[in-house]
Amino acid sequence: MNLSYDYVVTLWPALMRGLGETLSIFFLTLVFSLPLGLVFALGSISRFRPFRILCRIYVWLFRGTPLMLQLFFFYYGLGIMANQSGLLFLRLARFPAVVITFALNYAAYFAEIYRAGIQSIDRGQYEAAKTLGFSRSRTMFRIIIPQTIRRIIPPVSNETITLVKDTALANVIAVPELLKVAKDASNRDTTTTAYFLAAMGYLAITFVLTVVYQKLEKRFSRHEQEAV
Amino acid sequence: MTAHIVEMENVNKRYGEVVALDDVTLGVDRGEHVVIIGSSGSGKSTLLRCINHLEAIDSGAITINGSPLAETSDGRVRYRREAEIRKLIMQTAMVFQHFNLFGHLTCLDNITIAPIEIQKENPREAKERAMDLLRLVGLEKKAKVYPGQLSGGQKQRVAIARALAIRPSVLLFDEPTSALDPEITGEVLKVIRDLAAKGYTMMLVTHEMGFAREVANRVVFMDNGRIIEEGRPDRIFDSPASERLGMFLKAVI
Repeated sequence: MNLSYDYVVTLWPALMRGLGETLSIFFLTLVFSLPLGLVFALGSISRFRPFRILCRIYVWLFRGTPLMLQLFFFYYGLGIMANQSGLLFLRLARFPAVVITFALNYAAYFAEIYRAGIQSIDRGQYEAAKTLGFSRSRTMFRIIIPQTIRRIIPPVSNETITLVKDTALANVIAVPELLKVAKDASNRDTTTTAYFLAAMGYLAITFVLTVVYQKLEKRFSRHEQEAV
Repeated sequence: MTAHIVEMENVNKRYGEVVALDDVTLGVDRGEHVVIIGSSGSGKSTLLRCINHLEAIDSGAITINGSPLAETSDGRVRYRREAEIRKLIMQTAMVFQHFNLFGHLTCLDNITIAPIEIQKENPREAKERAMDLLRLVGLEKKAKVYPGQLSGGQKQRVAIARALAIRPSVLLFDEPTSALDPEITGEVLKVIRDLAAKGYTMMLVTHEMGFAREVANRVVFMDNGRIIEEGRPDRIFDSPASERLGMFLKAVI
C-alpha cells in the first residue's frame, strides 16, 4: 500500500467525485424511500383490503429478492423491454436506475419498520383519541405516528447505515461511486491504497450518521423521562 | 318522552358466544350520577364503551342528547355516518382505567388538543381554560410536564381534565381507580366527588363500594350482561332485592 502524500493527492479528486456520487445515491434514496415507506406502511394496515394486499405483496417482492437482481432488472431488464417494445421511456440511465431501485427497495424495509412501530402503540391511544372526536386519519398523524418516531429511530438508523454500504452495489452497473473509483484506481496502479481510502470514506459517513441518530434519539425521548 | 342525556334501549351485544349486554335499557338524566357495579365480566365496562362507540352494539338503540347514535329496525342495527358519530360521542367523554394520556404531549397539550384541533376553539382561550381545569384537579404546576413524569393518580387527574375540556354532557368513568395503588385512589376520588357536587352528569363503573354509595344518585347492579337491580344507593346496599346482588355485596364488602 502506498500512502505517500504525493500518491494520495493524485487519487484525491477522483475519490472525492466518487464520494459525492455515493452521497448523492444515499441522500436521494432516503428522500424518496422514507416517505414512500410510510405510504406502504399505512397501506399494509389499511382497512381497504385490495390496497392492503397490494402493499403487502410489494413489501414481499422487494424484501424477498436480492437488491442486485432488482438493480439489474431496472437497468438491463427495462432496457431490453424498451428495445423490444419500442417504449423507449422505459430505458433508464445508470444513475436514475440506481436511485429508483434503491428507493423502491428501501421503502419496503422502512414500511415494515414503520408498521411494526405503529402496531406497537397501545390500543388505549386510539380509544382516547376516538372519544375526543379524532377521525382515524387525524389519530394516525397527530397521536400515533408522533409516538412511533422514537421507537423507530434505532431500526431506521440501522437500515440507513446498511444503505451507505449498499450504495457500493451501484458499481455493478458502472456508476462511478466511491467503490468503483477505488477499484479502477487500484487496478490501474496495482496498489490497495484506493481501497483503504474508500473504506475510510464509508467509515466517515457511518460515523457521522451514528452521531446524528444518537442526537435524534435523545431529542425524541424528552417526553419519556421518568418521574424525578 | 323525557330528554335523557343518554338513553339505551334493549341493547344487546355479544363477543362470539359470550353475551356482554343482554337487553339493557337505561336512561340517564341531566345531573344524575349513575354508578354501575357488578363482578368482572358482568358487562358494566362494555355498557359504557357502547355509549361512545368504542364497541358496536348488535341490536337495540342508543340515543345521546336526543340524537340517535344507533337504532334497530327490521332486526338490523343502523349506526349514524362516521362524521355524525364523531360529533355525537364528543358529547360524552371517557376517563379510562389506564388513563391513555398522549405520551408525546405535555399535560397542557393533552387537554387542549381536542378543543383546538377538533372543536376549533381559539388556542389562547383553550389554553386558559385548560389551566383552569388543571387548577380544578390540583395540577396547575404540571402544565408543561409530560405524562411519563407523573404518578398514576396525577395522570388520572390530567385525564379527567382532558375529558372535561371537550365540554361533554356526560362523563363516563371506566374503573378510574382500578389501576392505582390504594393509597392514591383518594386524590382521584376527591376530584370525582367535587365534579359530582358541581352537578356534572356522570356514569361511573367502579369497585369502590364506599365511594359508589357516597357519590351515586342511582346504583345499577349488573350480572351476566343484564341489569338485575337499580335504585337509590341506600336501598341497593342496605336491602338488596335479589339474591345475586346480596351475594355480590357479601363478597365485596
